[in-house]
Amino acid sequence: MRKWRERILVGASWVAAFGVLAVVGVLVVFLVARSAHILGPQLLFGDVPWTRAVFAGARVFDGIWPAVVGTLTLVALSAGIAIPLGLAAGIHVSEYAGPRFKASVTLVVDVLAGIPSIVMGLFGFSMILLLRRTVAQEAKTGLLLAAVCIALLVLPYMIRATQSALAGLPMSIRLLGPSLGMSQTQTLRRVLVPAASRGILSGAILSVGRAAEDTAVIMLTGAVATAGGRGPQDLLGKFEALPFKIFVIAAEHNTAAELDQGFGAALVLLTLTATLFIGAYLLQRSLERRWNN
Amino acid sequence: MMSARFSTRSLALLMTLLLAVGLLGVAGCSSADEDSATEETPAADTAAEATAFDAFAELEGDLDIAGGTAHIPVMEAAAADIMTSNDAILITVAGGGSGVGVEQVGEGLVEIGNAGRALKDEEVEFYPNLVSFAFAVDGVAAVVHPDNPVTELSAEQMQAIFAGEITDWADLGGDAGEIHLFTRDEASGTRDVFWSKALAEGDIAVEANVVASNGAMKTAVSGDPQAIGYMGIGGIDDSVAGVTFDGVAPTQDNAKDGSYVVTRKLYMNTKGEPEGLTKAFIDFILGADGVSYIVDGGYIPIF
Amino acid sequence: MGSTDSHSRTDALLRVTLGTAAAISVVAVLSIFAFLVYFSLPVFSAEGARQVLSWDWQPLQGSFGILPMVVGSLVLATFAVALAFPAAVLVCAFAYGVGPARLARPVMAVINLMTGIPTIVYAFVAVMTIPPLLRDIFEQGSGFALLGAAVTLAVLVLPTIVLVIDSNWRGLAPRTSEACASLGMSPVQHVFGVLVPVSGSALLSALVLGFGRALGDTMIALMLTGNAPLLPTSALGSIRALTAHIGMVMATAVGGPAHQSVFASGLILLLVTGTISALVRRSVRLEA
Repeated sequence: MRKWRERILVGASWVAAFGVLAVVGVLVVFLVARSAHILGPQLLFGDVPWTRAVFAGARVFDGIWPAVVGTLTLVALSAGIAIPLGLAAGIHVSEYAGPRFKASVTLVVDVLAGIPSIVMGLFGFSMILLLRRTVAQEAKTGLLLAAVCIALLVLPYMIRATQSALAGLPMSIRLLGPSLGMSQTQTLRRVLVPAASRGILSGAILSVGRAAEDTAVIMLTGAVATAGGRGPQDLLGKFEALPFKIFVIAAEHNTAAELDQGFGAALVLLTLTATLFIGAYLLQRSLERRWNN
Repeated sequence: MMSARFSTRSLALLMTLLLAVGLLGVAGCSSADEDSATEETPAADTAAEATAFDAFAELEGDLDIAGGTAHIPVMEAAAADIMTSNDAILITVAGGGSGVGVEQVGEGLVEIGNAGRALKDEEVEFYPNLVSFAFAVDGVAAVVHPDNPVTELSAEQMQAIFAGEITDWADLGGDAGEIHLFTRDEASGTRDVFWSKALAEGDIAVEANVVASNGAMKTAVSGDPQAIGYMGIGGIDDSVAGVTFDGVAPTQDNAKDGSYVVTRKLYMNTKGEPEGLTKAFIDFILGADGVSYIVDGGYIPIF
Repeated sequence: MGSTDSHSRTDALLRVTLGTAAAISVVAVLSIFAFLVYFSLPVFSAEGARQVLSWDWQPLQGSFGILPMVVGSLVLATFAVALAFPAAVLVCAFAYGVGPARLARPVMAVINLMTGIPTIVYAFVAVMTIPPLLRDIFEQGSGFALLGAAVTLAVLVLPTIVLVIDSNWRGLAPRTSEACASLGMSPVQHVFGVLVPVSGSALLSALVLGFGRALGDTMIALMLTGNAPLLPTSALGSIRALTAHIGMVMATAVGGPAHQSVFASGLILLLVTGTISALVRRSVRLEA
């Protein structure tokens, strides 16, 4: 390879690497700078004292607290569906399934992983339409529907993480259970799953992060701009959520103060998801280090 | 396996934490009932507000409102005060545009569907038992950036601009520069009214940028010195400038006395006659108590 | 040791439970397809197909063609990947020898961190900064254009592409770098002369995966493209993506042709991204 061509490639690589770092840096700095002065109880609770809002259920109309609670609730519900389901499915595919079933599930998981979130939202909405035409004529979009759709969205992460964590276990571990006379259930419970737990946990954390950030699904399945100044009150009702709140503020803010609230909300959401992903990343790294030694 | 046990425990802990948060969130209301008794209200208004919200005192339940984006400030402000007076009520407000409002209330997905225009014939045919309640008058004005020297347009110019035939501000006596068109989505009642009354049902250029609400229109136009769009007059503030149309300034007074012709009424629609919480809300908006919210929104109440 | 009977019963129970879970996942995907097909059935008639598969979206005049949006999505995704893919390869090159060894780990760490940045945050920051910037630089267009959306999308999908390449090179590089070093090749020659050609199909997978991701994004397209329903003619022109179209038109006319167009859009997206995902993983597995 000619020297000058090499030099260009080297230079381009440096530009690319530092360019990417710069973009991330600018993004974070921009967010922090625009929201710095608004960070604090006022961003979350407006004029309502925070203890009243958090513990006594006082309504907050000009802070992002309802959206924060909405997101946490939504995430908890969808993870509560997706994590056990994904764990179970992943274990089955890894340990029990025959090759054909394994192949179908793997295909299904791959397709599920690639589904655009707006299509998932469309699916959720169409489920309600179908319910209304058949068995449940009063059905409406709401928290439970959104949670189910998000659970489906993150299910692939959970299944794949479980599958690959179990697949990565060395033979010595796999032989441990049967060599001690353990039944399949005992082997799974006491040897395999604990050994793979780091990878599984990492998948769980990734699922939670993905559930927290999604906007398109909830846009069509029950997220609204304002829902009573509190967290969601019942499973079938409309709810607020951080990503949707950010979207609404971005599109239709009326005042500069509202826009600043949007920046604050973006920073809160970013901190939440970044923390989760860092956690998952560290877990994954320590897992690899463990089994590669 | 020490670290593996740690991870298993962490997984269990994570799940428990998540479920706890979820339950806390959903159940958070139960302690709220004690709160209304100890609410601090501004002393001066207590007496007046007490009577205004009496109609809601015995009520409870959910009220979902969706539709016209022009209505949102009025709906949200009224909802906030009503909910503050009675903790057992939940009113949610969503946008989407007039078309969405009519469809959703017609299908029974929401209790009140807002529209910034009268029901269309197809809608009346498709949803025969919709009841409309007009509560305000609003004008629809073309808006430009406050720094734009062009402040008035004739009907012909307006049509030509939105049809994409005039493309430069210089042709209108302004500073040279491309005209950036902004229009609303097809569900918009604001769009319907502007199209039929200001554009005489002429074409809107397909190159126009599409925004999904009055608020989004304001955001777009206030950020671009070369932009032109249209929105309800009630939402106009210092960040955009209304355009005088055929010699008439776009103010709500002109809209009310008829000199500004591009006007519409804001409607709340229900499926069948409203009852319970829905009825109370509609009566509230239409009554004397609703006037201040309508006026604060920038609209003219219909008595 | 307990009796083998109770153990085998537990085993059987567990197996069934787990199998049910796996079956649920399969059923879920099938039902997504089923729902979308059911609701877009009207489109499959000759009349419906003619209406929806046309080039004009003017619902007030009765045309519900979604083809401009299909093209818009494809062009947007292609543009984004055309920016992101070379950048991703260069970043990987940097991390695999072209840059100093001690910077490799931090750079990859940041890339990993980027996967945790929500799309809405990218879209929000972008919509506040890019349109005015584009207007100032090019003095043409409203700033809401293909270019701004493509650049933002590129930033979104870059980490995905990098991580796929990385997971492939991580296994490959240790084997090749020593051999290349002993032949006197520089790191640049190692990466671009050996790693890149050898990992060809992994690179392709990464590219296709990034493309799928870009195709499926809604918020960036919705907030940055201007959403005019016409065919892309210039990088500074407003376009509408299929995903944004669904988001905008969703609840307008339940049962009407506009609604059907939305379900048809969803079905198209599902088929395209589903095929992409299936193909990519298959080739990655064959590689391994």
